[in-house]
Amino acid sequence: MTQLDVFQTVKRVTLEVLPFLPPEEVSIEKSLKDLGANSIDRMEVVTRSMESLGIKVPLVEFGKVKNLEGLVDVLQRFAN
Amino acid sequence: MEVGIEAINLYGGPAFLDVRTLFEARKLDLERFDNLMMEKKSVGLPCEDPVTNGVNAAKPIIDRLTEAEKNRIELVIASTESGLDFGKALSTYIHDYLGLSRKCRIFEVKQACYAGTAALHMAICFVASQVSPGAKALVVATDTARAAAKNTYAEPTQAVGAVAMLVSGKPQVLEIDLGATGYHSYEVMDTCRPLPDIETGDADLSLLSYLDCFENSYKEYEARVEGANFMETFDYLAFHTPFAGMVKGAHRKLLRGFSRLSPDQIEADFQKRVSPSLKYCVRIGNVYSATVYVALCGLIDHAELNGSKRVGLFSYGSGCSSEFYSGLISGRSKEVLAGMKISEQLDRRYALNIDEYDRVLDQNMEWIFGVKDKEVDVSKYARIYNHSMAGRKLLVLKRVKDYHREYDWS
Repeated sequence: MTQLDVFQTVKRVTLEVLPFLPPEEVSIEKSLKDLGANSIDRMEVVTRSMESLGIKVPLVEFGKVKNLEGLVDVLQRFAN
Repeated sequence: MEVGIEAINLYGGPAFLDVRTLFEARKLDLERFDNLMMEKKSVGLPCEDPVTNGVNAAKPIIDRLTEAEKNRIELVIASTESGLDFGKALSTYIHDYLGLSRKCRIFEVKQACYAGTAALHMAICFVASQVSPGAKALVVATDTARAAAKNTYAEPTQAVGAVAMLVSGKPQVLEIDLGATGYHSYEVMDTCRPLPDIETGDADLSLLSYLDCFENSYKEYEARVEGANFMETFDYLAFHTPFAGMVKGAHRKLLRGFSRLSPDQIEADFQKRVSPSLKYCVRIGNVYSATVYVALCGLIDHAELNGSKRVGLFSYGSGCSSEFYSGLISGRSKEVLAGMKISEQLDRRYALNIDEYDRVLDQNMEWIFGVKDKEVDVSKYARIYNHSMAGRKLLVLKRVKDYHREYDWS
């Protein structure tokens, strides 16, 4: 799975969790906080992205993630 | 044998602040207010500490015992992350002011918000082991927020209070499913209290760790309990509740994993099985090691309990340790708890305005860990004290003399 594949899943899930967000706002260098996600929204994006990709990642692995790129990297590491 | 909680009581402090008022005063983002799902937070006074809160929760339970029953309390465990001394346990004072027998083990345990559950299970194992047939144990989960946590998104949820539980072979409040339990623990630095005036951490990491622990402790429960099913085994659920919105998010996430329910069905399940447990949590806030038992009290007082109902309890403490276990509650639980009049006690609290709240926080800052000699002066907050404490025979701190804390009844 490429970084782009994973990012597209994360982007789709982010837009499901934050339906009022213009899609073009969701770029890889942004953080979920920048996009207006609160702590529960952020947890939803992380867990639903995993579910959507069909992978299991120990959740604390996401603790140090700073932006969408970091999130995509952790997911990609466990997807391949 | 039957074992579990014979009596339980909650002390929710003398005063509260409306959470929306705090959001407005601190200019916090009101969109996040809805996300928290909290209404009020309990606030304590400088004449209170984890000892007084613990005694004020336990006293109504002890007062209902005969002298002979009281003398069978052979174990007093206090759980806290708000200790007053590195060596001397809170339970030494609690044991003394409750007038309990000296033929007793007394100590304090710590593991963040999990500690109340750690203490409860140690007490249950003591009673169930029958090493002293007929003995009872008192567990007091008591915590106070650090006074210095102003202007953060944690401030609206940080509260004070205590829950006391009498554990025995007469489990009329909660009969434990002995051995039906799953644990999950590992080292993680999510939230902590590294200094007397600081509680800090990484909220995202803590939320993720909570969810990880929930899923894995429940899986361990399922592995140990034949036929267990998350959707069918439990009539009700009570979770550690830092704030109600977090429990709602956790429930939604878990049900996506444990069931094939639609979002509407998940919401209906939340309303039916989880929401009764949040009734007191939203009126008090996070009481750390006591919180899951605040949830249990809320559940018993607000659920429909015709006949015996199984409740699944999840306890999480940062750092971290967690446990998912179960027990039975019934109409009898409701009768016993009704005598404590928890809702009325909460209604009696003094409603602080933001200026009063800020003043109380500043006054509480003078009483952080390490005070050697100091007299309590209630005249500084007489209005609140007179409204909620004076003449009500609640335990209050009078002074600290060469580190020894001296208390009296209000």
